[in-house]
Amino acid sequence: MKNYKKLFPIFKNNPTLHYLDSAATSLKPQVVLDKMMDYYQNYSANIHRGLYPISEKATTEYEQVRNKVAKFIGAKFEGEIIFTGGTTASINMVARSWGENNLVKGDEIVVTVAEHHSNFVPWQQLAKRKSLKLRVTSYELEITKNTKLLAINHVSNVLGTVNNIKEIIKKAREINPNICVVVDGAQAVAHMPVNVTDLDCDFYAFSGHKMYGPTGVGVLYAKANRQLEMKPDNFGGGMIKEVTTETSTWAEGPEKFEAGTPPIGEVIGLGAAVDFINEIGMKNIMAHEKELTDYLIESILKYGRIKILGLGISDNRLGVVSMYSDDKQMGTSHDFSDILGRKFNVAVRAGHHCAMPLHTKFGVETGTTRASIGIYNDKNDIDELIKGLIYAKDIFNCIEEGDKKFYG
Amino acid sequence: MDDLYKEIILDHYQHPNHLGKIVGGVEVGEVNMSCGDKLKISVKIKDGVIIDAKFEGGGCAISMAAVDILLDKVIGMKLVDVKKMSGNEIEKMMGVELTPSRKKCAYLGLEVLKKL
Repeated sequence: MKNYKKLFPIFKNNPTLHYLDSAATSLKPQVVLDKMMDYYQNYSANIHRGLYPISEKATTEYEQVRNKVAKFIGAKFEGEIIFTGGTTASINMVARSWGENNLVKGDEIVVTVAEHHSNFVPWQQLAKRKSLKLRVTSYELEITKNTKLLAINHVSNVLGTVNNIKEIIKKAREINPNICVVVDGAQAVAHMPVNVTDLDCDFYAFSGHKMYGPTGVGVLYAKANRQLEMKPDNFGGGMIKEVTTETSTWAEGPEKFEAGTPPIGEVIGLGAAVDFINEIGMKNIMAHEKELTDYLIESILKYGRIKILGLGISDNRLGVVSMYSDDKQMGTSHDFSDILGRKFNVAVRAGHHCAMPLHTKFGVETGTTRASIGIYNDKNDIDELIKGLIYAKDIFNCIEEGDKKFYG
Repeated sequence: MDDLYKEIILDHYQHPNHLGKIVGGVEVGEVNMSCGDKLKISVKIKDGVIIDAKFEGGGCAISMAAVDILLDKVIGMKLVDVKKMSGNEIEKMMGVELTPSRKKCAYLGLEVLKKL
């Protein structure tokens, strides 16, 4: 198994870190940090309309990333790529700029129960503002002619399940050809190939920081015809064509939705993250992470009293694994995560992972302990996690004979 | 032995003294936390003094142990004095120093009592 840790400087500074929280944010490779530092040290000018060399350079670098991202996710035109602050900002932009202006009283929005709060609350609030119907579904999506918008994740941030978006959209369009489909791709883009044209979605949202890029930058892919239906909701410099004291007209294309100075250094860093992923190759990433995910699931299930939410080993899941125990004597995810972090330097996440409706549906109100895989992980990280789980069971006097056999 | 999950904490968590509900003539405080912890405390008060207290709910070992330890302490105390208690006192009673994220867990019981 190839070792990618050396590409990430955090491991030089924290050699004992076992980072299993990539679904929350991924670590940053040196090439991304170097690219950003280069901008800040050598040409940190504002973009557009600076007629001097370093501003021209900044503009070129910034706009090149738009092209790079468009290719990365298979968009037809680079103008379909809008830079935002992250997935949450992207989805809120769809709700505010598209939903607000294209949905009318009585229209229905369908969301799945497995959505992250960022792909749930904006729709819940839009529905309240506009008197729309909001339906939350679990298995069958049950699209009707009145369903005007479907909001769905590509990969669940709790279950790791990969939704067959292409098939879902195809079926939805058979019922309502004009349905607008918003896909939350935050957990997908760094771990599997994504082609928005092939998926035929209307909007696709994701974050830079979950794909080895910096925080503070995200992307909203808005299909060309849908982008024409959007009205800007954030006003200021950069997004206008002409301003008089009476009225204003808007710039064309994605700039219309990028008011103010954008996160230039972060966008440039995102470009380096795309290069990083392309260089390793999605095939290699998937093979590496699949091997680790299977090993993780297999290791967890060897031990009693710890269960996994969602699928076991499967080709329809990625490396996001949430676990829990029914045993009331064994603490909650907060106890487990605390022990894993403090004693083993294993970084995992506790709680609902911004998906309370899903945890309620599964009856695990106190939350789950989530381990998630990135390209830098190896089997040793997972062995340490398992050691930590056994140690936690020991603390709560729930250790069993079988456990000791593996980890004395 | 773990530095946080000491015997006193595990004992109160796994074998609490005050689990349950007092019926009749009591005041109840309740809180639902975003982390998933739920806690309801019922209290019997006579002449301003807490003469009995019980809790129901579910949550992490730290929050559940802390509330049981807290109820040990407050039974027999005046409610006005309980309301003056600080989070630090809970950590002292538990015999541990907590990180900021775990302080939230440990202070849950006191937060509920202060609602009374």
